[in-house]
Amino acid sequence: MRSPIPPLPPRKSQYGIDPSLVRRRVSELPGITSLLAKDLFPELPDVIMPGPGGIPAVRRAAEAALAAVDMARIQPGHTVNVLASHHGFTLLGGEPYAEMLKAIKDVIQSRTGCKSIRLRAGVGLRFRETEEYIRRFGLDRHFGDGKAIGIAPIDQAIPIDTEIGTLYGIKKAYDADWIVHAHNSDVREVHFHRQVDRAVKPFGMSYARIETRSTYHQNLGPRAANFIARAIFDSPFVQSKFAFACFLTMSPNGIVGVDADRDLYALNDRITRSGCSLYGRMMTLFGEIDECIVAVDFPCPVVYTFAAGVIYANFAGANTDLYDLELPLPAYTWYTEAFYGRAGRPLLPEIPSLNPAIRMCVHNYAWTGYPSAFFSEHIPTVIVGREQAELFDRDAQNSTYTRHARILDTTEEAMAYARKVTGTDKILIFDGAFGGINLSEPLADLLVKRAPEVSRRVDQELLPKWLRQRGIPIAA
Amino acid sequence: MRTIRMLAEVDAALCTGCTICDRVCPSLAIVTDRKVHLASVDADRCSGCPACEQRCPEGAIHMVVREKPFDIGVKVPPEDRERVDALCRAARFHPEQLVCYCTGTRAEEAAAAILQGAHTPEEISFRTGIRTGCTVECLQPMLRLLDAAGLKPVPPKGGWQWYGRTVTAWDIPEAVKKRYAERGFYFDEDIEILERVVNAPSQDP
Repeated sequence: MRSPIPPLPPRKSQYGIDPSLVRRRVSELPGITSLLAKDLFPELPDVIMPGPGGIPAVRRAAEAALAAVDMARIQPGHTVNVLASHHGFTLLGGEPYAEMLKAIKDVIQSRTGCKSIRLRAGVGLRFRETEEYIRRFGLDRHFGDGKAIGIAPIDQAIPIDTEIGTLYGIKKAYDADWIVHAHNSDVREVHFHRQVDRAVKPFGMSYARIETRSTYHQNLGPRAANFIARAIFDSPFVQSKFAFACFLTMSPNGIVGVDADRDLYALNDRITRSGCSLYGRMMTLFGEIDECIVAVDFPCPVVYTFAAGVIYANFAGANTDLYDLELPLPAYTWYTEAFYGRAGRPLLPEIPSLNPAIRMCVHNYAWTGYPSAFFSEHIPTVIVGREQAELFDRDAQNSTYTRHARILDTTEEAMAYARKVTGTDKILIFDGAFGGINLSEPLADLLVKRAPEVSRRVDQELLPKWLRQRGIPIAA
Repeated sequence: MRTIRMLAEVDAALCTGCTICDRVCPSLAIVTDRKVHLASVDADRCSGCPACEQRCPEGAIHMVVREKPFDIGVKVPPEDRERVDALCRAARFHPEQLVCYCTGTRAEEAAAAILQGAHTPEEISFRTGIRTGCTVECLQPMLRLLDAAGLKPVPPKGGWQWYGRTVTAWDIPEAVKKRYAERGFYFDEDIEILERVVNAPSQDP
């Protein structure tokens, strides 16, 4: 039995309980083993992290990728905003993404002579989150005093004329001569973006105002929503400022490298192909799980805790094919949640239920700052620790989360309770383990057994369909 | 119904009167006195969202637990049911459709508030609690409902609470739909789903 992979330690944040209150990680319990993602799918690419090269390998990859990017338009007297997003700081502890941001700044400065290079780091629904990362990773010192700031969707707006009417960006994101789009290819919210224009999404989200984000999540529909991002990116205003994009390229087993391009859509096609192939493989495998207890145990909101790159929100929809665009509504997305009526049932009969394989969720450690009551309402949930429950009760986004959950004092009690009630010994831990998954042995056996057939099915049946639906040529 | 447990409190020693807090408050509960450069909170209007606390550049605002939590919300009176449902459907929402994921506010509640005299997003927020969780995702439903009611609210003067209504699925130009049909955007198919939801039967007898 392989030892568990040590998960990221709890992180001090205003959105989570104090790290000292996380007394036990689920992966420390007896009977927990681990699988490397490459053990399941040997065809996954080699990665630079985790690996012996460490952070310097990310720096070298960023510099190599940026060497091929034309920066001639940036003049010494210009201003440049490097646009970043919170999510990158959850990948392998966050330091690799921070290092890429530092490398972008250094390369622009050395190649162009430009000295006014600022960091504008956007957020999801936790408006101080990137401020915490800026300090944690020394980005404030690296970019210079006052040049690295967090931006939030309720900050002052700038109207942007698009081919579908006026949308709104965050003014501080665009208050420079040039913008650099610094992101990553980790799939994360496939229930929202459906791997359609994944590379473009922050223009409709973390760089956007509430008017725009509300349009995405309320006005367009589940498969048209991400067009908002394309409309903004294609606007003459944004095009006049766009210098280039630089992405940390990801796989379920870690960081593959860095990709940079002045053509965002060319980069988008590359990550659409890799996203469908790599993450689609892992998600399809997770769809094979017949029953399990989920344990969430990572410093981020409940839905974003992840195992081998698959977030809990997506495992909650793994009973359906999230990549198949013929499926209008995944089991979980905000449109789906909106379409549950007063009686707690879907308004349309074809709306799929949340993944019935999830027999119970043990919430050992996760953050506030994302509306999560839909999960505790529809999936039996146990929260570890009164302090954590009280934190959620005080969170304006989760005022009913604990109402649907049971609260137990310790991790051991919670897991024992879950085992007893569900009768299953299959446990899947969403703790962001680097390079693999922490899980129980019976579940490991199941995944190892099913992986080869999943691999064949993805390559021969699903991937060609997924790429065809997105207009991406099958051959790279 | 939303339970208000928290209250914003201003630390006068730290407040510089920069006005950011009153520009972002969704229920207009916080006001800066520009003469003395100090923000103050109307505890009766504060809905307990942390927008001001999260954007204060000085860390001068703290969210504290209220001594007496209270519920806010708007009920749909039976005599208004038909008008409420009609308003929701005119805005292309099912009456039971959730329009705020944090507070669990449904379209019918926001519509009832409008019919009872809430004629701005801020007043709807104050009465129902909508947009007092994340404060991000539920603006457009309010603007669509107000528009369907024939109301033309204007944003708070000098505020950043909101700037304008935006496109819906039904407004996407045909040329745009055609141009991007091969790139994975399912505009018309999504409209079909949205309309089926709007016209779905109620779950209650």
